[in-house]
Amino acid sequence: MSDFLIHVISVSCIYGILALSLNLQAGFTGLMNFGLIAMFGCGVYGAGLVHRFGLPVALGPALALILAVLMGLFLARLGRRLSTDYWGIATLSIAEIARIFATNLEPLTGGAQGISGLPLLFSGLRPWDGAARLALFAVILGVAWLICERLVRSNFGLGMKLIREEPQLARALGYDIDRIRSTVMVIASVIAAVAGVLYAHYLSFVGPELLLAPETFLIWAMVIIGGIANNRGVIAGAFAMQFMMAYVPFVKDYFALPSDFVAAARLMLSGGVILGFLLLRPQGIFPERVGGRHDH
Amino acid sequence: MVQFIFDTLFRAADLALIAVALSAVYSLIRFPNVALVQYAVVGAFVGMALQQQGVPIVPAVLLASLLVGGIAQVFNAVIFQRLLRLDPAIALIGSLALSMVLSAGFLLGFGPAAQRFSVQVAPATRVFGVRVTEMQVLTGGLTVAILIAFALLLFRTPLGREMRAVSTNPVLAAATGVNTARVTGLVVFLSGVIAALGGAMLALRGSVSIDMGTNMLLPVFAAAILGGLGNAFGAVFGAIVIAAAETLITNLNFGPIVGQDHVFLPASYAPAASFALLVAVLLFRPRGIFVSEVTRV
Amino acid sequence: MKKMIRVLAATSVLATALPAQADVVIGAVLPLSGVNANGGEDQRRGIELAVAQINEAGGVLGEPLKVIYEDSGNVPQRAIDAARKLVSVDGVALVIGEYSSGITIPLGQYLVAEGVPHLNPASTSGLVRGIGATSFSMVGLDNVSTEFAAKDVLDRGWKRVAVLAMNNAFGQGVANEFGAHFAQLGGEVTTTIMYTSGQTTYRRELQQAESTEPDAYVFTAYGADGGLMMQEAYELGLQEDPWYSILITMHNADTPAEFKTGLIGMDVDYTADDTSYKAAYEEAYGQSFQSAWSGYAHDTTLFAAETIERAGSTDRPAVLSAIAELGAEGFTGVTGEIKLDADGQRMWQPYQKLKVEGDALVSHE
Repeated sequence: MSDFLIHVISVSCIYGILALSLNLQAGFTGLMNFGLIAMFGCGVYGAGLVHRFGLPVALGPALALILAVLMGLFLARLGRRLSTDYWGIATLSIAEIARIFATNLEPLTGGAQGISGLPLLFSGLRPWDGAARLALFAVILGVAWLICERLVRSNFGLGMKLIREEPQLARALGYDIDRIRSTVMVIASVIAAVAGVLYAHYLSFVGPELLLAPETFLIWAMVIIGGIANNRGVIAGAFAMQFMMAYVPFVKDYFALPSDFVAAARLMLSGGVILGFLLLRPQGIFPERVGGRHDH
Repeated sequence: MVQFIFDTLFRAADLALIAVALSAVYSLIRFPNVALVQYAVVGAFVGMALQQQGVPIVPAVLLASLLVGGIAQVFNAVIFQRLLRLDPAIALIGSLALSMVLSAGFLLGFGPAAQRFSVQVAPATRVFGVRVTEMQVLTGGLTVAILIAFALLLFRTPLGREMRAVSTNPVLAAATGVNTARVTGLVVFLSGVIAALGGAMLALRGSVSIDMGTNMLLPVFAAAILGGLGNAFGAVFGAIVIAAAETLITNLNFGPIVGQDHVFLPASYAPAASFALLVAVLLFRPRGIFVSEVTRV
Repeated sequence: MKKMIRVLAATSVLATALPAQADVVIGAVLPLSGVNANGGEDQRRGIELAVAQINEAGGVLGEPLKVIYEDSGNVPQRAIDAARKLVSVDGVALVIGEYSSGITIPLGQYLVAEGVPHLNPASTSGLVRGIGATSFSMVGLDNVSTEFAAKDVLDRGWKRVAVLAMNNAFGQGVANEFGAHFAQLGGEVTTTIMYTSGQTTYRRELQQAESTEPDAYVFTAYGADGGLMMQEAYELGLQEDPWYSILITMHNADTPAEFKTGLIGMDVDYTADDTSYKAAYEEAYGQSFQSAWSGYAHDTTLFAAETIERAGSTDRPAVLSAIAELGAEGFTGVTGEIKLDADGQRMWQPYQKLKVEGDALVSHE
């Protein structure tokens, strides 16, 4: 039992990191990124490609970092001239293009068969490897949280929120909107890619199914449930969604439901949670602390 | 070449109705409603379910589209009007979430397998050296007829004038006595009907599975954005461009270039072509090729 | 935040309390939703029939045998999540799974890392061989089946063929292996088209194939995809040339009779000499075999039950050595004799040549 619990908490930590990344973009800066999974994909395939071509594992994070920075800059560049909703659709397209190439560029990415047999983190520590991984993920989640908190409370964070609320005013006050947007996108992209590298070495498999668009919407559900623009809230949202997703099969066993139920219930959960919260409690469980402290 | 034109036109017909519906509703309610592609799936599935219950195919399709029009109005009133008060981007997220809930409903109600209408299928006949099937001609013709009917409604009736007035300047339209709520409701209803008809046409030509909505989402958006969201008939043009790009990329034989007989790009790159076109348009002409804001009233 | 933690704690306690059983439990991870749902459902039927047969005969180790089914949703990480639940919560003796190779491979690797016995009931990609020491295949791999198909196609006098296969681990394996065998035997593959599963139309792919003017079309497709592809091939008039289906039972049930007149193909033979299984299947489900995979899932379950019986417990190391022992000795099920090689892969299996007659498949030698 405890193994399964450790597994669910470990994956929750990884999704917590992703929720922080999305929150930085959508929550604080108002950048509606529907292609977050492509940033995650930079991490996953960074680790996967390094393994596939027999390079040292340590190069994985480096490759992931390069891909993530490029992805962040490209998406930010796209955002210069687009309104929020158009940009959202554009990011969704980029993520789908990435997935199509991952599926079809067989010589490079292994195609639909993906890349399997990535080294598992801490596999030498058996039987404590699961706990060791969990500890590592929790520490990285903590670090990501610290970075995000510091960032949004800084003067730079004020600029982010101003862009979200009053872009004209932000420009009038001398904030360089394009620069702030690019910086946010690059930081968020790197955070998402770190989650990707960890996930690749946790699952020990990398494939195009990891980049499916509904995965992005799952992360959106986490951010909305927890409270958009509240870093602690979105982590709580990630844990809540992951636990719900993980325990759907138990509900199925308990009530002897048909197994179609699991897939449908998971879709229904992410979609229903988003809709329910948007309609009934758009600020989420933990609302943004308006007028929060800023360290200048 | 003729084959290429036909392939492009039929692919464009796949996209056109849903793209037009998306664009029409955007002209009045300013957010891209992702759930519209799922309305198309609902239309197809309800039509097929009715046919299995013994309803003849024509009333089945009509009934299904009217029903979807009603559903579109309900969702608009219950969900989107409320979310739009917060932010158009929030409404967009809401429509994505609604799509997921709808797919879950399809999965439970219809199972994961693809389905089709039970209609007579005949081998293709050759016209100008191009193979076309009866169903292609029939559904293609119907698509054009629906588009023409919608154009007549929009440009030749008092109601259409009111629609265009509301989309161009809602405040002014309301001041001159147009009932904007009624006009908006009607457009939402029509968008549901047209999208559902689009889905039914697809189910007549090929098959429809619960994933169709997800697969059609970006090509349809690409077509609508290319034509300038809000410009309903720009979307038809957008659909043709997207279809041409997709057809070109799968029909080009790169063999002679690399010194072999036949080398094709995998057909699975076709969607990437339309998405890339969408991104390119957004980069260089963010408001689409036709700008809708200047349409005359 | 505190409230949230309390809720989470409560749910996990609830979940711990759920599984309580004294039966012998094995797990099955199958694609019960997604594009391969029909195949997964057919596997489940085979397992159910085997369980009924075993429990009627007194169960395993004197206890009733129980199978917990989990849905992979056709996604690798869902399959691994499901396996984690089976292994660490339900404490299953072994895991049967999956259907497509792209999922069986990561699933198997996870199980190997955990030291849990893994029985592959369906995936035929050559890469399955490399999963690891505690993974065993109850089905012959692609190198055997595609050689059979390549020889069959050439024997019919078709020298130039277009190959269509779905773009996943299984399809890529079939396309590569078939191409290699076909070229070796003196044939020519005019084009190899990897299509994405689950599309609303395959016209583009079919037209690409047609433009290379092959003598015949060789393809492999899952249920609904195959049905649509055959319909469109019929509409486009491509069925003037012969069509040959590799693993024809995967899509036969989903293809209406009018679109498959004259279709021939091959598949694994699942009725070897024994017709009792066929009769049991037809009685239980009121239709003829939907695919070849129910027979393999059925035999996999029988094989699993026999090894647990031999091991004398559900202890994993004991089960593993019992599998090795039984695999070396050979075990006869409805799909013929299951004998494993040094890598734990099935050495030999019968194949059959099939042709369509009306809606049904009949042997075609």
